[in-house]
Amino acid sequence: MRISDIVRKDLKIILNDKKALATLIIMPIILTTILGLAFSSSFIGSSGNKSRYNIVIVKKYDANEDLKRFREIITDGTIGEKLSIKQKNMILNQVQKLDVEEVFFKQFLGSNELKKFIKYRIEDENTAFKLLKDEKVTAVVILPENFIYDLNISLYTSFRNEVNIKVLGNSKYAFSTQIISEVMNGFADMLSTIIIGKSIFIQTAMEEDVGAKVFEDIDKFIGNMIEDMGKIKANINYLRVEGKEPISSFQYYAVGMAVMFILFASGYGSKALLKEKNNVTYQRMIIAGVSRFKIVVGNFFTIFFLALLQMLIMISYSSIILKVEWGSLLLVVIISLCAIFSVASLGTMIAVMTLKAGNYKIANVFQNIIIQFMALVGGSFVPYDLLPEFIQKLNFLSINGMALKSYLKVMMGYPVDEIKGHLFSLMISGIIFLIFAIFILVLKKEEGCVDV
Amino acid sequence: MTLLRVDNLKKYFKKIKAVDGISFEVKKGEIFGLLGPNGAGKSTTISMISTLFKPTSGDIFFKGRSIFENPIEIRKNLGIVPQEIALYPTLSGYENLRFWGNAYGLRGKKLKIRIEEVSEIIGIKDRLKDKVEKYSGGMKRRINIGAALLHKPELLIMDEPTVGIDPQSRKHILDTVLSLNKKGMTVIYTSHYMEEVEYLCNRISIMDKGKIIATGTKDELINIVNGQKVINLKFDKISKELIRKIKDINYISQIEVLDDEIILTTVNENTIFKDIIDKVSETDSNILSIDVKKTNLESVFLHLTGKALRD
Repeated sequence: MRISDIVRKDLKIILNDKKALATLIIMPIILTTILGLAFSSSFIGSSGNKSRYNIVIVKKYDANEDLKRFREIITDGTIGEKLSIKQKNMILNQVQKLDVEEVFFKQFLGSNELKKFIKYRIEDENTAFKLLKDEKVTAVVILPENFIYDLNISLYTSFRNEVNIKVLGNSKYAFSTQIISEVMNGFADMLSTIIIGKSIFIQTAMEEDVGAKVFEDIDKFIGNMIEDMGKIKANINYLRVEGKEPISSFQYYAVGMAVMFILFASGYGSKALLKEKNNVTYQRMIIAGVSRFKIVVGNFFTIFFLALLQMLIMISYSSIILKVEWGSLLLVVIISLCAIFSVASLGTMIAVMTLKAGNYKIANVFQNIIIQFMALVGGSFVPYDLLPEFIQKLNFLSINGMALKSYLKVMMGYPVDEIKGHLFSLMISGIIFLIFAIFILVLKKEEGCVDV
Repeated sequence: MTLLRVDNLKKYFKKIKAVDGISFEVKKGEIFGLLGPNGAGKSTTISMISTLFKPTSGDIFFKGRSIFENPIEIRKNLGIVPQEIALYPTLSGYENLRFWGNAYGLRGKKLKIRIEEVSEIIGIKDRLKDKVEKYSGGMKRRINIGAALLHKPELLIMDEPTVGIDPQSRKHILDTVLSLNKKGMTVIYTSHYMEEVEYLCNRISIMDKGKIIATGTKDELINIVNGQKVINLKFDKISKELIRKIKDINYISQIEVLDDEIILTTVNENTIFKDIIDKVSETDSNILSIDVKKTNLESVFLHLTGKALRD
């Protein structure tokens, strides 16, 4: 008997099994569609959704009042006492030229990168809260009192005033709120960079005894920094990496569900050998001269081709219907083959263990606990970076996790070097599972069985 | 010519002696019966002949060679019809036959022709395209047999092939066995149905508790009983007093008490009925029926083991 005869028979049985088909083929399609739609607002790269996050900005400061106060403290206040008239004029001119409010609204929020997915409007505090409560906006960003004044103090003097930008979100949009928070942190980080740079600049100048002349050049310095700011792309969350394509919810869940459901193929296959034995077809094959090794290899390829079929359907469905872009076809094929190899090996190992045990306990634990555990720590349901740290540390234990990271990197446009490690891990884990399966098969024969 | 020889075969599962030192021979071209109640060790013996189990001790020789040293030889010449329906219920009859044909190395046109021939023999040609799960119990049994015939085995082992089927399918199966045997196929037929073994088998071994208690042709086995008659008495109720009174009757060699029946073995058919009626009238039980059975393998089994075959 050829191994292909066993595989053909097994696949035919699966394709005749409506329940198995629903679980292995239909479910991932449905879940991908539902999860992709449900979390579309939580992913930056969701297609067709420019200006996805509607946010409201509340200005608790009075820009004119802040500027007036800043001018006063430079002209007549405690800071101004230490500056010459020329230096005071330089700073005031610079403030006139470089409006930090404009930097925030036009250069930061208005940058090409951010305006793709953030749409903002300015409202008073009450209106903003009402809009948030009515779920008409994703988040409210509150720019604090003295915002302009404090920023100018930090930017143009040797002092540093604290600036706290608050982000308030609706619990329904917790994930989105987190992203907006990250955006604001990105802005704060940029300012910090400039302010720290300025402090070092002033300090160095003082040490070199350049004295107050430093203020004559600070406008150039800050001007250059602001110019550089435009080149900095917002570090929003882990899915957005400089120069790489963002991931949409459909992309994420097409991958997440595909790699999780191939584990279910492995779970299905893990029961197959004992099921054959209980139906006496296993014994009948042995009597017909089919070796146990051949039967087990048949089981491996059944899981392999079943998982391959699942991946093909998922990739085709998500590409055609959900318009998911999977990236380099060659890399997708390589990742798929590595992941499927690992999954088929794992399923075969569990199948052999189950066969030897003579009951379904091991297969049930695998299906009901281990696969669910892998789905969780591998990030199939919840993006990996949003998981608690201790769960993230367990990610390496999941086949789906390794495969998912690889697919996402390919989607984002990473080169093959970036996924080599994951591919290697998938292959090695697959080989280890297979070695274990053969070891158990050879060393622990069934009661008195005569082998050929 | 001896096709198969079983030599002092034992199979112990921990403390259970499933097969306990049995020996018998199967001659080429005969139908050899293994008769015994459930749990007698028939299926374990079949599993060892099929090379599924290694014996605890003893050996089995196929054409003079140990099957455990050379399992391939018997496997390619053996057709096994297991007691269970060892088929794939969600596949069609044709797909099942094709798979089992593949298992025996048949492919292409040769396989197609054999499937046609076999489906003719087992009488399911018209239903080959249907899924096995839609077949009746009898049809499932028939295709279970068909799967064992595809490679034209020299030796066909049938383990309780008629369990749980209707009389029509049973007759079809029994006729199929006879027809295959006429064409030269050697058959080992195990059953706890005495009448099937009587109808089919040239020689019979009776098994009980892992041992063979008698072997011979049907006539040879019946001669063991030597003129004894089996009388089956049915009562409205059976009391301890009734059993004691019946046991007091002379010329009763065996007595078996079931729920509402007492089975007697006696050599004195002439006076026994008067004695029975007298004894029963001394109790508060009433006889519902008296059935004098013709001497058969059931009588032999009762004679040898002291219990009915159907227990």
